[in-house]
Amino acid sequence: MNAQNQRLPGGGRIDRSHPIEFSFDGRKLAGYRGDTLASALLANGVTLVGRSFKYHRPRGILSAGPEEPNALVTLGSGGRREPNLPATTLELGDGMVVETQNRWPSLAFDVQSLNGLFGPFLSAGFYYKTFMGPTRRAWMFYEHFIRKAAGLGRAGTDPDPARYEVRHAFADVAIIGSGPAGLSAARAAAAAGARVALIEQDFLLGGQLLAERSDGIAAAWLNEVEAELKGLETVTLMKRTSAFGVYDGNVLGLAAQREPLDTRSTGEARQTVTMLRAHSVVFATGAIERPMVFSNNDRPGVMLASAARTYLNRFAVLPGKKIIVAAANDAAWRTAFDLAEAGAEVTVADLRAAPPPALAAEAGRLGVAVRTATRIVDLRGGHAVRRATLSGPGGQSETACDLVCMSGGWSPTVHLTSHLGIKPRYRDDIDGFVPGIFPASWSGAGAMMGAYATADTIEDGHRAGIEAASFCGKSAPVSAPPKLDLGETVTAPLRDVPSAHRGKAFVDFQMDVTTKDIELAHREGYESVEHLKRYTTLGMGTDQGKTSNFAALAAMAGLRGATVPETGTTTFRPPFTPVAIGALAGRATGHHFKPFRRTPMHDWHQANGADMLEVGLWMRPWFYRQSGADVNEAYVAEMRTVRQAAGLMDISTLGKIDVQGPDAAIFLDRVYANGFAKLPVGRARYGVMLRDDGIVFDDGTTTRLAESRFFMTTSTAKAADVLSRLEFLLDTAWPDLRVAVTSVSDEWAAMSIAGPQSRAILAAEFPSLDVSDAALPHMGLLEGEWEGRALRILRLSYSGERAYELYVGATAGAQLWNRLLEAGDPFGLKPYGVEALGALRVEKGHVAGPEIDGRTTLDDLGLGRIAGKRSGFVGDVLRRRPALLAPARERLVGLECIEDGKRLRGGAILFLPGEKAHGHGRGRVTSVTFSPERGHYVGLALLAGDMAAEGNEVVAVYPMKAETVRARIVAPVFLDPQGERLHG
Amino acid sequence: MLRIECPCCGPRDHDEFRYGGDASVTRPAHDDPDPEAWYAYVYVRKNPAGLHREFWQHVIGCRQWLVVERDTRNHVISSVAFARTSQA
Amino acid sequence: MASPDFSLSVSDCLLIQVEAWNETLGQFETSLSASLGTDLPASVGETVHHENLLIIRVAPRRLWLALDDAAPAPPLAVDPDLGCSASLGEGRVRFSLAGADIARVLSTCIAVDWHAPTAAPGRAVHTSFHHVPVLLLRTGEASCELIVPRSFATSLSDWIADGSYGAI
Repeated sequence: MNAQNQRLPGGGRIDRSHPIEFSFDGRKLAGYRGDTLASALLANGVTLVGRSFKYHRPRGILSAGPEEPNALVTLGSGGRREPNLPATTLELGDGMVVETQNRWPSLAFDVQSLNGLFGPFLSAGFYYKTFMGPTRRAWMFYEHFIRKAAGLGRAGTDPDPARYEVRHAFADVAIIGSGPAGLSAARAAAAAGARVALIEQDFLLGGQLLAERSDGIAAAWLNEVEAELKGLETVTLMKRTSAFGVYDGNVLGLAAQREPLDTRSTGEARQTVTMLRAHSVVFATGAIERPMVFSNNDRPGVMLASAARTYLNRFAVLPGKKIIVAAANDAAWRTAFDLAEAGAEVTVADLRAAPPPALAAEAGRLGVAVRTATRIVDLRGGHAVRRATLSGPGGQSETACDLVCMSGGWSPTVHLTSHLGIKPRYRDDIDGFVPGIFPASWSGAGAMMGAYATADTIEDGHRAGIEAASFCGKSAPVSAPPKLDLGETVTAPLRDVPSAHRGKAFVDFQMDVTTKDIELAHREGYESVEHLKRYTTLGMGTDQGKTSNFAALAAMAGLRGATVPETGTTTFRPPFTPVAIGALAGRATGHHFKPFRRTPMHDWHQANGADMLEVGLWMRPWFYRQSGADVNEAYVAEMRTVRQAAGLMDISTLGKIDVQGPDAAIFLDRVYANGFAKLPVGRARYGVMLRDDGIVFDDGTTTRLAESRFFMTTSTAKAADVLSRLEFLLDTAWPDLRVAVTSVSDEWAAMSIAGPQSRAILAAEFPSLDVSDAALPHMGLLEGEWEGRALRILRLSYSGERAYELYVGATAGAQLWNRLLEAGDPFGLKPYGVEALGALRVEKGHVAGPEIDGRTTLDDLGLGRIAGKRSGFVGDVLRRRPALLAPARERLVGLECIEDGKRLRGGAILFLPGEKAHGHGRGRVTSVTFSPERGHYVGLALLAGDMAAEGNEVVAVYPMKAETVRARIVAPVFLDPQGERLHG
Repeated sequence: MLRIECPCCGPRDHDEFRYGGDASVTRPAHDDPDPEAWYAYVYVRKNPAGLHREFWQHVIGCRQWLVVERDTRNHVISSVAFARTSQA
Repeated sequence: MASPDFSLSVSDCLLIQVEAWNETLGQFETSLSASLGTDLPASVGETVHHENLLIIRVAPRRLWLALDDAAPAPPLAVDPDLGCSASLGEGRVRFSLAGADIARVLSTCIAVDWHAPTAAPGRAVHTSFHHVPVLLLRTGEASCELIVPRSFATSLSDWIADGSYGAI
């Protein structure tokens, strides 16, 4: 086990009483609680942590936050394997198993680093230009190998056993970021009386304050404010929580990680996504430091200046002994000073000719060498930086070094504020972008708004917190925040303009995009920032270009001879940081993927051999296993039972709507194509509803229970749509009608008993009810009582057999079902499932969903006579459009399969005999079944009206199974066209 | 996630509602025989880049149909009223 | 299921729905109030408890009369010129939830602000639970009922049971 040679003996915010062991590419290393993986690696002197995307160049740790482009690792194995995790935000946990990515056979010796030799062939947009010949198929050949060579981590393929959760939360004020601005805002908003949610992606609060010495005034301020917030019930501190998206309505998407050190198995979710609905939002997301662009700036041992300071002060790690700090602003000098005080030999190379004298004085006091008007132009070193080439007034010189800290300036972290399309705007004084104009419910504070001095950010946060609370109507008086002055100087930054160089100068580390790629894009005409991004893939990695965005814009602006604001910026979209798909799904997977609906007889079906089928959200019996070995055998057997004896079917899923009121009859007359106002009490009628455009919407049966009360049924699938439609018409079109409509779908258990023995069975079970044909004719209603419960019997048939639908309260459904089976057993009554249900209605020629598919009219379906001479109903006018009455329109026909041993298939395309089977054909098959009545397959189809003469042949083609079948056109009814079975 | 303030139920997520299309078009009387009037009602839309008056039904709630004014460029909702009272 | 931190029980739910026509709302309410012997909840989301009835306004012109367990329904004759009624006694079940953990468990089920006045004890809130319409009745600081469509009852109680790990 390595010793942690780079760890300082004291200081930092790590817990030295809790050492942690972890594994890195198989090596056992040690760290402490409070470390990130990155800080622990640096403590152990590990500088090489990955290989770059295209060129497989050795890479080290660049940053100390989520903006990390290089140090991406894979955690865990099997179903828990998670790739592309930034080591800089990964909280160190006991027993962690970490692997580096994108390298083979090892990190130190990666065969694909030879890709570097092919550099010229792998430049921006290479896949549009190279590997193109000699034939068109050549690309597909090369692409296979290139694809294998590309990519960062590898996703796992085992099912993920972890538990995730999605939860809902509310707050008056949501504050994103817990640096000095965010903490100050939270304090103020809470004091003003608001309910506050403070969101922080790190496992400690403090933001940039965590880069300060852990025993200084910044730490004291942090402790004081944190304690104040912890003591308030109205403040919810959400650590380890990343705000990944801002959505309309001030809804924030948050992703929270579980603490890694909790080894108890509480079943707590590994990641939790919270949808936080806030009244107002304060953005205090800080700023991201910019790298500098120079030759070989991607070597391991090159990091952002503020990161080096964080590793030193927060994690007590000194990442180097001979350090060069390359600066273009004042902030980087603080890194130089702290490193020098920790015992390193430090040289500052500042781009500016005259940095503030106070800084030079302090440098002198600490023994920090200073070179002004000097920049780094090249670095040397393979797996770790060794020498830097500096260029200044005196020419070029080489300096040995083992760590380079660079600061090209700061970019406010505006990403979240542009998720709703508010474009960031450029500010000359900070040479950077701040957010655009906010809506009234948003406030911004601190470095994100371009205020970089800590004292300023605290005041800014205070103001924003009061503003945000006031927006919610909370304005209790608030005391000023405690003061903190770190004595920073903030002078205008000097923009780092890359000089001429020989080696690769990286702009986007993660996507391996160099200045040459940007020049190439410009040369080839891809000079708008949107094109630049997509052509070079700059900014398209998992880091969303956080450390490359500004430098890329500045480079393109320079090439175009334009200013940065003229060049513009691309739009940031969610997620700000990657979110596991599992976390977005939460518990809505497997059993809970969607809600499921069960009928009152569900348990009986499950216990009695039903193979259950998902029909929308409903669970329905598909077929019963005792009917046959598989569905194809079973449904035919069940059909035979219904036609020869009797069958019992659970139809509880039908949509059922209670329609009441003095104007109910008038209302139904307007919504149905056929009339209902004159329907006698105690009678039912099949009805068809059209859409406003004249297309058939749904069909069902409506029964008149009383003068002003109707019981409407709809198809299972359209129940919700029909109810909404009825409510729409009542609320917006005919508000004067006195009608109330209510769903009663779940009130009633419903079952259909169909077959020649059906009446006898009812007579046996209900001796006190008169179920004779005189008392209960076809389409009649009988209301009675059974076991003290209301019972409705409707004589309706879907199958073409004599049939009755029975309705009883849902709590009595199972009981009635059982009793009917008992009573029906001597008559041969058996249950049947939806496969047989569908087959029976096809044999009878009833249209259903496959025919009522949103494209067909009454006339197409042969139902034109239903409307008769009526008018004034929904859809009437537009159904008479000439195009909808054209003779060539596809009309409903019946088909009989005339080839022995072959079958028809729903969805087959119809052609004329001898015609080439090409294109849309003359029509399509909509529903099919094997017909026990006819002994072969039959079906319903829609066929061009001018081709649809009965007796003609057509050819049904099903390309997906390469089937071709000859069929004859017949009337669309395959048994009992006179309806004798229904009435007899 | 749009937040729609139902006049009687308060602010709710948009997935409690069902969208019902353009509310600025005039529906002909139920017995109006004019195909042009029905054609215009069913098919012709202004589709503005800006304020749009549209129907939403609060299906997981009071089930009232509402008229919402929403800016199609940025989803900002400026008014919500019961359809019954705003059809005047 | 039951533990000190969270419990869930399921029972039947007898409801009578009454609704007024648009123009007769005032008269309807006067008449209903007189026949029940109590004021009615004034706005959507409010409830009034009277004898064995919980009266809930679920829409501007629609009220639910929820009967306490196994109580006989009140005799209710609604003048058809003023409105109508429908018995909804079979189609719903009542989930009774209670316990210290209740807000956390419910935060993974419904998007309701437990601390807002609109969800205070005595209030009724329609909401979506796993895409299913349910009615939340807040009965106490750490207790509530959910009125759930019967066909979805198993789906939603499974969801609650799977979510309240460590508390069941």
